[in-house]
Parts: sequence; C-alpha cells; structure tokens
Amino acid sequence: MGLVCRVVEEAGIPTVCVSTGRDITTLVRPPRSYFVNAPMGNNFGAPGDRETQSRILRAVLDLAVEAREPGCIVDDPMRWPRPFFFNPAPPSPEARAKQLKK
Amino acid sequence: MEPIRYVATLTEKYAALGFPPYDWSRYDDAPFTPLDKPLSACTVSLLTSGGVSRCAMPPFDPDARNDLRLDEVPSNAPSDDFQIHDSYYNHDDADRDLNCIFPIDRLRDMARDGTIGAVAPRLWSGFMGRIYKRQAVLADKAPALARELERDGVDLFIAVPA
Repeated sequence: MGLVCRVVEEAGIPTVCVSTGRDITTLVRPPRSYFVNAPMGNNFGAPGDRETQSRILRAVLDLAVEAREPGCIVDDPMRWPRPFFFNPAPPSPEARAKQLKK
Repeated sequence: MEPIRYVATLTEKYAALGFPPYDWSRYDDAPFTPLDKPLSACTVSLLTSGGVSRCAMPPFDPDARNDLRLDEVPSNAPSDDFQIHDSYYNHDDADRDLNCIFPIDRLRDMARDGTIGAVAPRLWSGFMGRIYKRQAVLADKAPALARELERDGVDLFIAVPA
C-alpha cells in the first residue's frame, strides 16, 4: 500500500497512508503516513467507536494539509486497551508448494 | 505498548517455512505533491487492502498470494453490505463495523458536514497483502489506479493497509 501511495503521489495526487505497521512504513516511506498503534485491522479503532473513527480520519485529513516533509510519519496518541500480536495464518500446503517452486 | 515489529516477525516466519528471505522495499526518500486546495473543496477517495468486497461480489481469496484484484466501490455503498476474507489479520472487529478499516460512513459524515468537498464517486478495495510481484504494482496496477483517480477528479487519496 505504501508503494501504491508512492505511485499515486508521483502521478500528482496527494496521499496519506493510515498505517498500523510502523517499521514497514519506515522502510517503504509513503509520502505521508499516519501511524495508529493498534492491531492490524483496527486502523480506525474499535467497532462502533464513531468518535475515535472520526478523530483519526480528521487527523489524517489534517496531515494532508499540514505535511511539508516527504516521507513524514505522524503518530496517533491512541493507546490500545489490550496487548495485541501479529499472527497471520500459515500458508496452505498448496500455497507453500507454489512459493517454494519459484 | 511498543509498535509490533512486523519486519522482524515476518522475516523469521518466512525463514522458518524455508522461503527465501523477503526483500523488503526500502526507500530513503518519498515523492511529494502538496495539497493545493482547502479540504472543504477536496474530493477524497479511499482504498482498503483488507480483503473487503460487496456481498454481491465474489469474496476475496483469504489466502491469496499475488492477488492483483482491485474492486471499485460506489461511494454510496451501505457499510453493512460488505464481506471480509483475509487470513492475514484478525477482522472480527471490522466484520462488526467496516469503519474500523474502511471508514466510508465517517468519510460521508465529513462530506455532509462540509469538512471535505465530496466523497469521490468510486472508492477502492484491493492490493491485498502478500503481493510479491512488486513490479506489477509499480509499473502497471498502481499507475492504472492513479489514472482512474484522476478521472474521478480525486484531490486526496487515503490508503488503509491491512
């Protein structure tokens, strides 16, 4: 997605990437990133929490206006109420066989 | 809590599965196009990569690799008319409220209250995780999306990775 932002920005349209992976964002350097320290899939917070969803979206829009430095990352102040982890499902045996063939 | 170390975790995971080491995209600088009008005059579009599709559309393949599918989502689509299929992240919360990853209701709120000028006629879902064909994205699929955004008069593009 960072790559997509870079290409769209290069085409002349300003972009903001709403990231939950700060280290990946630091590597890929989309033009502007707003980092939310929440589980992947909760970029705009918890279900039904309209206030937080609106606050984050507003901050993302403000970043589009205020950013001056290419590749900038702004950190959202939210603290997720529970510890969270990253544990994607392992690839299916077929997918793994296909990958190893390449 | 410290941010999750995705890069280290994925590098270890791939190694444990016997995959060749993943060559992360790395850039020292970034392109930059200043926003040249006030938000209240901006047409805004949105992209999710979270395996989100309309209920009437075929679901995304939850275990997809190199899935370059990109769906157009009409800007008036009701937020309860979507399904999510993606084994890469936990979407229990987003299943209950799409706005957790694809805040289309909130974006429409902001068009209604005048914060932004308009929601673009088309929003987007695609570029799911686990795309290893980087060149296809950089040289083909992302430029094609940029052209569609231009056609829709998009002034600002928000991408929400998952």
